[in-house]
Amino acid sequence: MTETARHLILVVEDSDAIRMAFTILLEESGYDVAAAPNGAEAVRLAAERAPDLVLLDLGLPDIPGVEVARRIKSDPETRSIPVVALTGRDDDSDREALRAAGCAAYLVKPVDTQALIRSLPGYIEGAAAVAES
Amino acid sequence: MTDLRLQIHGGHEAEARLREVLAREGFRIVEPPKPETGAHSVLVVEPDGHPQGPHAPLGRGETARKIEELERTVLELRNLDVAKSQFLTNVSHELRTPLTAIVTYGEILRDGMLGEITPRQREAIESMIGSCRQLLAMIEEILTYARTNAQAISIQPSSFPVEEVVRTVFDMNASLVERKGLEFETALTPGLPRVYADRDKVAHVLGNLIGNAIDFTPDGGRVRVVARRAAHDPRWIEVGVEDTGIGIDAAHHDLIFQEFAQVDASRARIHHGTGLGLAIARQFVRLHGGRIWVESELGEGSRFYFTLPSVEVNEEASARSAVAEGAAA
Repeated sequence: MTETARHLILVVEDSDAIRMAFTILLEESGYDVAAAPNGAEAVRLAAERAPDLVLLDLGLPDIPGVEVARRIKSDPETRSIPVVALTGRDDDSDREALRAAGCAAYLVKPVDTQALIRSLPGYIEGAAAVAES
Repeated sequence: MTDLRLQIHGGHEAEARLREVLAREGFRIVEPPKPETGAHSVLVVEPDGHPQGPHAPLGRGETARKIEELERTVLELRNLDVAKSQFLTNVSHELRTPLTAIVTYGEILRDGMLGEITPRQREAIESMIGSCRQLLAMIEEILTYARTNAQAISIQPSSFPVEEVVRTVFDMNASLVERKGLEFETALTPGLPRVYADRDKVAHVLGNLIGNAIDFTPDGGRVRVVARRAAHDPRWIEVGVEDTGIGIDAAHHDLIFQEFAQVDASRARIHHGTGLGLAIARQFVRLHGGRIWVESELGEGSRFYFTLPSVEVNEEASARSAVAEGAAA
């Protein structure tokens, strides 16, 4: 993969430790990373940097994660960006709301990092295929 | 004077405290506590004409006042219980975040992303990750229990073949089983009707039972998952997990489904659990209207079964309500 073809992933996570861990994980796996510690920053960066994927933690300090997903998916500028939600286990209401908001997937933390890395191209290409059709 | 019926949602502590208040205030419990779905127990009480202790017999106005007071106590206990569950939820969430960071960093190190590691370093890191995941699983269990206890959990049923969930949970546990050298097999009656149930909850119950079976079955033993029509009513599906493990004394068959209970300390040492797994499983099965039970003797292995409604039960129920609606129209 050439430098210019590297995909950009926006990591939205309020815990510094986890945000850093994901940044390392993704960079070491060949992605460029933008990081946001809260929902407002996430919405702003999604529009400004046009990432190829958003990894979105749902427990954010300012705006609920579901609402962040909804904003990204309802703005014509950012709606084609796939959003993968990360959260603690079995919150039924969130899952329904996320599907409705147009999230590509819903992963339970702590995610298996190898499985996540394997599935990233699918999320990114899936969105590209939808955009082309 | 009519009976006063009290539904208690606060667990053993709440019941004990309420009983104390009732006795002190001169009420008599005319029915022994009888657990019902939702409530921890139900007490039926009436004013006792001859209360013991310093209290004089109650007059009519007095009785009304006492009942009011009791109602206040019940409300207070319920609020306390909600606060307790909220506290557990918050604490669990706070514990999860640093653990998630540890697991993620551990996997980054394990996979050599920050430099080559030796096989022994890899072993150490894997053990660290495994311990963290174990801790997380226990926290999840406490959280689930708190939510179930606070009636914050409802089921979202859909119709699906029970084999699907059995296969998923089976596959999830396959590597663990392999490491312990256990035989792991399924015996599913072909052509079963689909169940009408909450897929995630069923997976949770089955995961708990299989996890227990693996924990309590010595190396070289066998764990088998069965699914068939229930003997008592063929429209219900019976799912079971049978093991060749240490077994459970008949005297403890009820105890193990109670929260925080483990049969003895040595068992707890092997199991490392919260003691909530079966209590949660029972709650989930009851939410479906089913039942869960165990057949076992010490040294004879354990066979846990639970029942789920098939779509046939559901169809019949909707047909009945349609008839009722038709009759009402």
